[in-house]
Amino acid sequence: MHAITYDPIHDEFSVPQQFGQAVLTFRGGANGEEPPLRVIQGSLTQLQNPDRLDVDPVHNEIFVPQDDVVLVFPREAVGNVAPIRVLKGTQMPVGRVAVAVDPVHDLLVVGGSQSGVGGRLLIYNRTDQGSTKPRAVIGGPRSGLGTVQGPFGVYPPRNEIILGSRIGRRGEISEMASENFYVGVWSTQDNGDIPPRFLIGGPHGVLRQVRGVALDPTHKSIIVSDKRLNAVMTFYVPEIF
Amino acid sequence: MTYSPRLRRRANFFVFLAMLSVVAGSVLLGGDIERRALVAASQVALLRPTGSAQWISLEPLAEMIGDGEMCEWQPASATQSLATALLQERDAPGGNAGRSSDSAIQVDLSQRKPVRMIRDPYAAYSSVAVDPTNNEVVLTDENLFNILVYNRTDNTPPAAKMTEPKRVIGGLKTKIEFQCGLYIDPQNGDIYAVNNDTVDTLVIFSRQAKGDVPPDREVETPHGTFGIAVDEEHHEILLTVQHDSAVVTYRKTAKGGESPIRLLQGDHTLLADPHGMALDAKNDVIFVTNHGSVHQVRPGDVPREGTMGRGFGKSNWPLGWNDAVPGSGKNLPPSITVYLRNARGDTAPLRVIQGPKTQMNWPTGIAFDPRRNELFVANDMADSILVFDASASGDVRPIRVLKGHKSRIKNPTGVYIDAQHDELWVANFGNHSATVYKPTASGDTPPLRVIRSGPEDQPALSIGNPHPVGYDSKREHILVPN
Repeated sequence: MHAITYDPIHDEFSVPQQFGQAVLTFRGGANGEEPPLRVIQGSLTQLQNPDRLDVDPVHNEIFVPQDDVVLVFPREAVGNVAPIRVLKGTQMPVGRVAVAVDPVHDLLVVGGSQSGVGGRLLIYNRTDQGSTKPRAVIGGPRSGLGTVQGPFGVYPPRNEIILGSRIGRRGEISEMASENFYVGVWSTQDNGDIPPRFLIGGPHGVLRQVRGVALDPTHKSIIVSDKRLNAVMTFYVPEIF
Repeated sequence: MTYSPRLRRRANFFVFLAMLSVVAGSVLLGGDIERRALVAASQVALLRPTGSAQWISLEPLAEMIGDGEMCEWQPASATQSLATALLQERDAPGGNAGRSSDSAIQVDLSQRKPVRMIRDPYAAYSSVAVDPTNNEVVLTDENLFNILVYNRTDNTPPAAKMTEPKRVIGGLKTKIEFQCGLYIDPQNGDIYAVNNDTVDTLVIFSRQAKGDVPPDREVETPHGTFGIAVDEEHHEILLTVQHDSAVVTYRKTAKGGESPIRLLQGDHTLLADPHGMALDAKNDVIFVTNHGSVHQVRPGDVPREGTMGRGFGKSNWPLGWNDAVPGSGKNLPPSITVYLRNARGDTAPLRVIQGPKTQMNWPTGIAFDPRRNELFVANDMADSILVFDASASGDVRPIRVLKGHKSRIKNPTGVYIDAQHDELWVANFGNHSATVYKPTASGDTPPLRVIRSGPEDQPALSIGNPHPVGYDSKREHILVPN
């Protein structure tokens, strides 16, 4: 399972189920073998390899990136339903892609990595659909965005994008672990080959293979998973909140 | 996704620690220090490039919580250059800072320590196999990424913290990570260990291997291999492929980028998120456990060649996610599917064991006992070992169920029959233990022996490949899918 999003307004969390091509939504307090509240699955969904997602609890939408498109479903959709919008970005990265929604500024950030190109962050209007050019693209050798490692977050009050990445090219050993991993912070108003505003936990810090990032603004903290350490860490970073 | 009471208690425990740390931090860092820190943080937002050093933050060192398990700290020298180079780019003449909305905030927190780390310091056993010739038992560890070798008759005393292994294979050179399948060559003691999900390599070590050493042999595999069976008569290695619902077969002596010699994949196979695999050599059939989630792949007469990544152009390579039929996904009940060993293509199983009477719930590891014609299934989510007649078909009850507090079975993922010593081994991912029984054991039977990798009272965290992480702000819970 490669994504999980908690919706604080409706007290639910949603996950993609890649093998069964489904999106599952559970009660926030779900425990044990509790069935999901809702399942999106079926021939109309266009779900092929749902691996990541984000939920916009304000506008009640679920965003599922998939290869070079983003499928948008109503948050309360159940069963075999077609997406209400499909974004086909003209510069969309392929492969493992993650998304994060800024419901305050009506933005959709799409992050992904491409062989030979590295990581890129594409910033769209939230309601963009069809073949649309992003309003901004962050990436390039100076950006330090070697990859987009996993699910990431946005913090609308400060226009921030917070994600795990790595510097440099992949080597065989560094496939498993590297000191080049870090959590970086960019702005949704950045555009171009822009270095991160903050570097957290690396490079050459504690991180060895950063994956997902979740935000806890109340405690001015970010929560980070690390595959190689097989661990979850909490960093206190009041500077970014 | 499920949360056992133990996981819930553990989550509550970490929430309690988190709250405690916040309170403690307020007490320790309160008053003037906290105020100065806040002022400093505010000043950061006002800083502008001056060409000289500026004080940008006050960073109190965080105390570790729990047992203090933490990676060794790295010298900052090389780091600084990398981090500083990145950050300096923002203000470099002719750089891109002008395209940023606010290029002034540049903070290097690369050396900041986490205030909390959730990490299990003890091995979590995932699969097990016995080397009867050398009287050893081998266990894979999906938490700290090691292969551990013990004396077969080791028995951790109740008061002992753990049993020390005789040998440990682990480290980056070994290419060991989330290992879930294991085979010991009865002729020479070679260890075949399957990586799931991250490394895409079958690693093979000689019995003498120890420490951080490269594998003696490695085979590139499709992504998401899980179970392994080796047919000594036909010199073949068979692997289940979880992600693509397939079984691939290699020559036993395969190495490097060699292609599989056979592929079993397709709708008719009823493979659905396959995990464990066992071989009945006498009847020449294989048994595969399936969790149940599956999608269709591009059907028909397309050549079975890899179309992406390391599988590109290789024959008998499973069709991957880029060949998945959109919207074809479904969730079937868990099952055991049975095939001829040499089944290939989109071949239907000979038999299927499936249905509510079976009690299967994430059936993972599987072992075959030829003496009794029985199948032993590690039934992960039900904390049980299910025993079926190997000739069974349909919705049948297990002939025995091993389960209960006294049995010490908790999230079993690996199972092995040691025919020579007439013993059943179970790798319990959920409680730092491998347990041994008579194969005829049933009900809540205590184990004959226990090998523990951690203290009796230390809960296993059950974290395995944490990819995303979520935060439930209402309950102040961290959500960790695996």
